[in-house]
Amino acid sequence: MPAVDRSLPQLAELLYVLVRKELKARYKNRFLGYVWALANPFAFAFVYWIAFKFIMRMEIENYSLFLITGMFPWVWLSVGVTGATRSFIVNASLIKKVSLPRAILPLGNVAQEMVHFGFALPAIIAFLWFAGEIRPIASWLWQLPVLLALQVAFVYPLALSFALANAYVRDIEYLVGIGFSLMFFATPMVYPITMVPEEYRYYFELNPLHAMMQSWRTLFLQGTLDVRHMAYAAAFAAVTGVIAWLLYRKLARRIGELV
Amino acid sequence: MTHAVMCEDLWKTYQRHRAIGVKSLLLGADTPKETRFSREWALSEVGFEVPRGRSFGVVGPNGSGKTTLLSILLGTVQEDRGRVSLNGRVASLLELGAGFHGDLTGRENVFLYGSILGMRLAEVRQRFDRIAEFSELEDAIDTPLRTYSAGMIARLGFSTIINSPADILLIDEVLAVGDTRFQAKCHQALREFRARQGTLVIVSHNMRELNEVCDEGICIELGRVVDAGPIARVVVRYQERMAAIAPGKATGGAPGNR
Repeated sequence: MPAVDRSLPQLAELLYVLVRKELKARYKNRFLGYVWALANPFAFAFVYWIAFKFIMRMEIENYSLFLITGMFPWVWLSVGVTGATRSFIVNASLIKKVSLPRAILPLGNVAQEMVHFGFALPAIIAFLWFAGEIRPIASWLWQLPVLLALQVAFVYPLALSFALANAYVRDIEYLVGIGFSLMFFATPMVYPITMVPEEYRYYFELNPLHAMMQSWRTLFLQGTLDVRHMAYAAAFAAVTGVIAWLLYRKLARRIGELV
Repeated sequence: MTHAVMCEDLWKTYQRHRAIGVKSLLLGADTPKETRFSREWALSEVGFEVPRGRSFGVVGPNGSGKTTLLSILLGTVQEDRGRVSLNGRVASLLELGAGFHGDLTGRENVFLYGSILGMRLAEVRQRFDRIAEFSELEDAIDTPLRTYSAGMIARLGFSTIINSPADILLIDEVLAVGDTRFQAKCHQALREFRARQGTLVIVSHNMRELNEVCDEGICIELGRVVDAGPIARVVVRYQERMAAIAPGKATGGAPGNR
């Protein structure tokens, strides 16, 4: 029996104040905060553009658009999950000293990165407009929320599972960090999947991260829903969702004495 | 009358190796040293019952299991054996500044803490003036918490829980940092809380405080209840026992290695 009964709207408010706390603490200056949220992914995209387009002269159409449209969802995914992995440790006093549904802490990291992504959307759209003359289409109004929901469903189970595991085995947070660095290159992020030799392409297609990122790219660049990749990402989210739920039921209770 | 807080036959052991690392997985863990704080059971056979509208004090030397007991009541630590039952809405103040954030102002922290305690934001807004007034922080309420002293943080935390709609308060040794006058104000507020049929469980090393706010209590040593009853008697006997032990050997030998 939990010591504090909470309704769903109360939980939503709790998530809101927790996320607002993190954002406020991180960005004391509102305008610069906005700039920082954009700076990292743009800087990365710029570096890869220099490396592959300018120096190695890869022949890819609209390479900068390709980079940008993948980079922001990737940052949401990777920063969200790596942050969430540490969330029980970082918030030890919230775990030990107050009664709180523990699953809300990694969800806070996912939501926080979603807010960053939301901040970046106007900049992404502006970039598409000016650099590639791609006009956002009215269908985005309902397609975008669908993909946002899919990405949350995709990211949260990973975030929760790694957070739980990290409370028990502390080195998980380093492994997750390394894992995302490797996956960034194993997932077609800076090269299109069509450049992968044909006999290996099948294995790259199996990567659920690719399905998620490709869904975003198709939305941004073609303005349509990539149903095949989205279905695969959703299936992966469903499986990891069940695993995360089982882990949570089994492992969450003892976390109070581990962090 | 039904109880507000009840636990019976609580047993709790902590695993010695807390979080595991890759090193300990690969190389095997080294055996932790025995200290005077180590023992097999953090809590054993602990049980008591607090009726509604009563205040319950917990005394005992450092490392005797008082905080573990409150954590189990709150549900943040899981008991190994035994049963805990709380009837009513709980608010806790187990650590100075737990749930607060240094970069937020006092005002923002009240909303954050209120939400953590299970209040709706509208509820906090409605109670905010009373909270701010009780804390006597005045203009400091709008400065970041990192500029606060420990006493000011305690004021903010206590003001929030005492003005929350809780039926049960769990407080762990946080009033000690308040100044004398504020402590007196807290004790008065706790007596009023009790008069409204609120139930209090408090851990303290301040014997006067316990005598002032509590009705009954227990003394825990090495995880066992060694005394229970009216708080005045528990406090006197605890002080006598502590005085009888020569300084330097305070908690006696460790029963950890049986």
